[in-house]
Amino acid sequence: MFSLRNCGLWVAASLTKKRLTLARFSGDSAAPLATKFDVIVIGGGHAGTEAAAAAARCGSRTLLLTHRVDTIGQMSCNPSFGGIGKGHLMREVDALDGLCSRICDQSGVHYKVLNRRKGPAVWGLRAQIDRKLYKQNMQKEILNTPLLTVQEGAVEDLILTEPEPEYTGKCRVSGVVLADGSTVHAESVVLTTGTFLRGVIVIGLEMHPAGRLGDQPSIGLAHTLEKLGFVVGRLKTGTPPRIAKESINFSILNKQTPDNPSIPFSFISETVWIKPEDQLPCYLTHTNPKVDEIVLENLHLNSHIKETTRGPRYCPSIESKVLRFPNRLHQVWLEPEGMDSDLIYPQGLSVTLPAELQEKMITCIKGLEKAKMIQPGYGVQYDYLDPRQITPSLETHLVQRLFFAGQINGTTGYEEAAAQGVIAGINASLRVKRKPPFVVSRTEGYIGVLIDDLTTLGTNEPYRMFTSRAEFRLSLRPDNADSRLTFRGYKEVGCVSQQRYERASWMKSSLEEGISVLKSIEFSSSKWKKLIPEASISIGKSLPLRALDVLKYEEVDMKLLATAVPAPLKKYITCRELAERLKIEAIYESVLFHQQQQIKEVQQEEALQLPKDLDYLTLRDVSLSYEVREKLHFSRPETIGAASRIPGVTPAAIINLLRFVKTTQQRQAAMDELSNTDQYLCETDKLEERHL
Amino acid sequence: MWRGLWTLVARAARGPRSPRPCTRQGSGVPVPGSGTTIFALSSGHGRCGIAVIRTSGPASGHALRSLTAPRDLPPARSACLRLLSHPRSGEPLDRALVLWFPGPQSFTGEDCAEFHVHGGPAVVSGVLQALGSVPGLRPAEAGEFTRRAFAHGKLSLTEVEGLADLIHAETEAQRRQALRQLDGELGHLCHGWAGTLTKALAHVEAYIDFGEDDNLEEGVLEQANSEVRELQLALGAHLRDARRGQRLRSGAHVVVAGPPNAGKSSLVNLLSRKPVSIVSPEPGTTRDVLETPVDLAGFPALLSDTAGLREGAGPVEQEGVRRARERLEQADLILAVLDASDLASPSSRNFLDTVVAPAGAGSPNGNSQRLLLVLNKSDLLPPGGPDPSPNLRPHLLLSCLTGEGLDGLLEALRKELAEVCGDPSTGPPLLTRARHQHHLQGCLDALGHYTQTKDLALAAEALRLARGHLARITGGGGTEEILDIIFRDFCVGK
Repeated sequence: MFSLRNCGLWVAASLTKKRLTLARFSGDSAAPLATKFDVIVIGGGHAGTEAAAAAARCGSRTLLLTHRVDTIGQMSCNPSFGGIGKGHLMREVDALDGLCSRICDQSGVHYKVLNRRKGPAVWGLRAQIDRKLYKQNMQKEILNTPLLTVQEGAVEDLILTEPEPEYTGKCRVSGVVLADGSTVHAESVVLTTGTFLRGVIVIGLEMHPAGRLGDQPSIGLAHTLEKLGFVVGRLKTGTPPRIAKESINFSILNKQTPDNPSIPFSFISETVWIKPEDQLPCYLTHTNPKVDEIVLENLHLNSHIKETTRGPRYCPSIESKVLRFPNRLHQVWLEPEGMDSDLIYPQGLSVTLPAELQEKMITCIKGLEKAKMIQPGYGVQYDYLDPRQITPSLETHLVQRLFFAGQINGTTGYEEAAAQGVIAGINASLRVKRKPPFVVSRTEGYIGVLIDDLTTLGTNEPYRMFTSRAEFRLSLRPDNADSRLTFRGYKEVGCVSQQRYERASWMKSSLEEGISVLKSIEFSSSKWKKLIPEASISIGKSLPLRALDVLKYEEVDMKLLATAVPAPLKKYITCRELAERLKIEAIYESVLFHQQQQIKEVQQEEALQLPKDLDYLTLRDVSLSYEVREKLHFSRPETIGAASRIPGVTPAAIINLLRFVKTTQQRQAAMDELSNTDQYLCETDKLEERHL
Repeated sequence: MWRGLWTLVARAARGPRSPRPCTRQGSGVPVPGSGTTIFALSSGHGRCGIAVIRTSGPASGHALRSLTAPRDLPPARSACLRLLSHPRSGEPLDRALVLWFPGPQSFTGEDCAEFHVHGGPAVVSGVLQALGSVPGLRPAEAGEFTRRAFAHGKLSLTEVEGLADLIHAETEAQRRQALRQLDGELGHLCHGWAGTLTKALAHVEAYIDFGEDDNLEEGVLEQANSEVRELQLALGAHLRDARRGQRLRSGAHVVVAGPPNAGKSSLVNLLSRKPVSIVSPEPGTTRDVLETPVDLAGFPALLSDTAGLREGAGPVEQEGVRRARERLEQADLILAVLDASDLASPSSRNFLDTVVAPAGAGSPNGNSQRLLLVLNKSDLLPPGGPDPSPNLRPHLLLSCLTGEGLDGLLEALRKELAEVCGDPSTGPPLLTRARHQHHLQGCLDALGHYTQTKDLALAAEALRLARGHLARITGGGGTEEILDIIFRDFCVGK
């Protein structure tokens, strides 16, 4: 289920003027109130909480600045987490010891893995989440994180100073100015401000600024960013109305029950907090021609639809669905908002009609005939910053030590925001420690795909993760995110706890051992057939079959295999996750070998670094068209691989860049050598002359 | 998309030249690549009425001005008559038509100039020398114009290969085929397949990313499956066709075979119009396989003369017979030669039974070997013709000695070879490159995996692989293309 996420975050936060200044809540009770931090994170949404927690985990003294502590961890749009592609991101966030997966395991009310029948590489972990519980659990987590301080306050401006000469960028951020005029200094700043930039709410023909009146702090910050020269674009999204639960006739609708057993999001959760039988169901209903009629008759009352601003193609409002795919019945999922909530979220009914028409539309849908609308749906239009202005570590090209994460980069979705948050928090911390950035390649994770797409291609619609965006989908699976990222996070960054590291290490060695045992067990096909009559093994095959090959059969799992050959295999079925992961490894074994080759090729091309300080506009020694120069100047690709993915950069330009990089490298190598052994170089030079 | 691009880049980066040893900065070695200006005779070598010399690169305008001084550049893309003279000595070279194509609207995308000069060798070499004396110009490497055109996005990969064919076309049939390929007909065909495949993949991807609780229409997967099946059929048919294209490039293999002393070598010499094989009245004169490339009725062919087929000769001749039989199996067309006056002899009868009869019968897969039966030495026959023999298949009468029957043979050869090579002016564009065949086969294999796989992620991977193979021929193949189709075809998301 994919839908508008995050969209109302700042709406809720900024509609109230209440502001507590300098009220600090620290997980580190011994820490004195400081005015200087290593990392400041602005915003307490899904990107902000992950960024702040990640920076603190890396050992940086971190300050989270938010309008209101009680909105930290607010799910402003849909009451669910995960899904296809999004579940993959959550697993990766968890592998780096991020928060959202663990919090979801403590806050869900309906856990269901999507795509169960389509292969484990595309399983989509998903759950309906209790908004209140999620917020409570997230706040508890944030407020108890060592090294992390939370302060209420609105940021008015950035403090900028001279740039560090060894890095690119025209200035360096060194702190923030709050609305009350006070300043807080920091070595890095992460901006996760969602839709704060000129956010506007639209219902029918009414439009009002999401941040009310001129004293909003986001206005000042927006001005600063614009003055610095950041390129701004505009996007729109929307959210459906909310309906009173007791006014819906569920008895005539299709009921969807949760999985039994529930699969937790986090690698370190054994189970989720709630038993399947205690979880809440979802219900399915459909639109009908009557809905189309109301939408089509009232287009003139709908300014959100008329706007040319790009909305998401995959999260369309009911208006755009009716316009683009007329005469069809569209699905509407009725989702619970929480255990004790009396609201229902009609997923699929995002709408910006005037409120009274929304109610009229709702009541012509089956099951909703007597439905009471508690809150109307609305559209949100907001500015975002072209993500080609940030590096793969999410630092901006323009301002040193300033990081962007979340919706500000043009993405949509809680999970996309969380994924960027973790990376921005880690890198903000690494930057303070003058350590090299932590970049996830597109060969290593969906996080890498997400950030590479954003930083090289940019986006002109709210960007959402799909599994089809990942080239190496069979390798980047939800089940193996820990083996891809946990070790890197532990060794390179230190953002992973000892407990998680040990768990991942145990899993890794158990898997390796299990696979080699499965490879070593060989019987004839007829013997296998006798041992496991359920399997559709054809007996004609003359070659012996390995247990690993038998495990590939759809009907065979580790349990069945361990019953057939108990001696060496029994110990691998004691852990549910291990048994399941062995089965998955078996399914993809043959294809993964080839995919590893391709991954190596891509990694080679990513190893060809382009110098960071290259001035493409004036670069003399390379023949490049002005158009290509501008594109490279804007995106500043860090590798030849990234440059080749920028649309409009011709193969000729890549060859020239490649040649330039090679000669620069050789020149550099020659210079280095020159300083070491002058004489040697002279002799080799003479040799080369003779060759020429 | 990006992987494909990388391959191209890597290929282009390697380039035709050997790696240049690293030189220190400021050595003054010109940077190879699009910075330099290249020139070449592009109308082929040898005697001709008009020869065309081309330049490409930033110094093209300068070169054109230098040779046509004191006149300025002609208007873009219109032919002008100019007196060409050597820029150094001022010596007049030729009166020629010149054309000026400022980039990017030119063949290579760079600034280009064309000199249409009189075709004498002295004029051509004079103009080439003059161009070589212009600073910044150097002779082009083979195919360099085309590579530059490709690098600037002026040609698709298919077109580049078609162009390479054009350059190397030696016979009329090859030229016709190369022209067709340059028109992008093969490209169109591949693009069509790639379009079908992309759509099928998009539907499978949509089913994976949205199928669970969005209401995709019923039967999305079934539709993709049926599209894949159709594609399999089309590719399969084309790949069987593709072998014909291959033959055209290197020439069809025509093997002359028969019993000893039937006149095979005489026939080879007659067809190739040169004494390829030693001819003697003694049986067993030809002991090895002799090959000669010939132009047979407008088609390139590789003509093989073989040892006469008989048992019980010496070890050398036996080896010759073994090689002859081997060659017979590889032949696209067999020219079976018999002595018309000696049809009843054991060696003739044996040959008719073991070679001629099986070839005519054909194999169950329809891949029967083509064979023309030639009865030589018609001059030795009595006026009534050969002995009436009811079992003898249709044949041609020929006298290598007098040349009688040669026209009939050539006409029969033209018909057979047109079948073997495919008629490039009427048939579908043939796949003339092994590379194409390789990728089409790879595509077909991957589609096979798709249909056999149950795990949908694996099945989609097979389709991605198949699409990657086609993209190697047509270019393109990005993810965004897939997403565009998904959002165009389906109402997804809520």
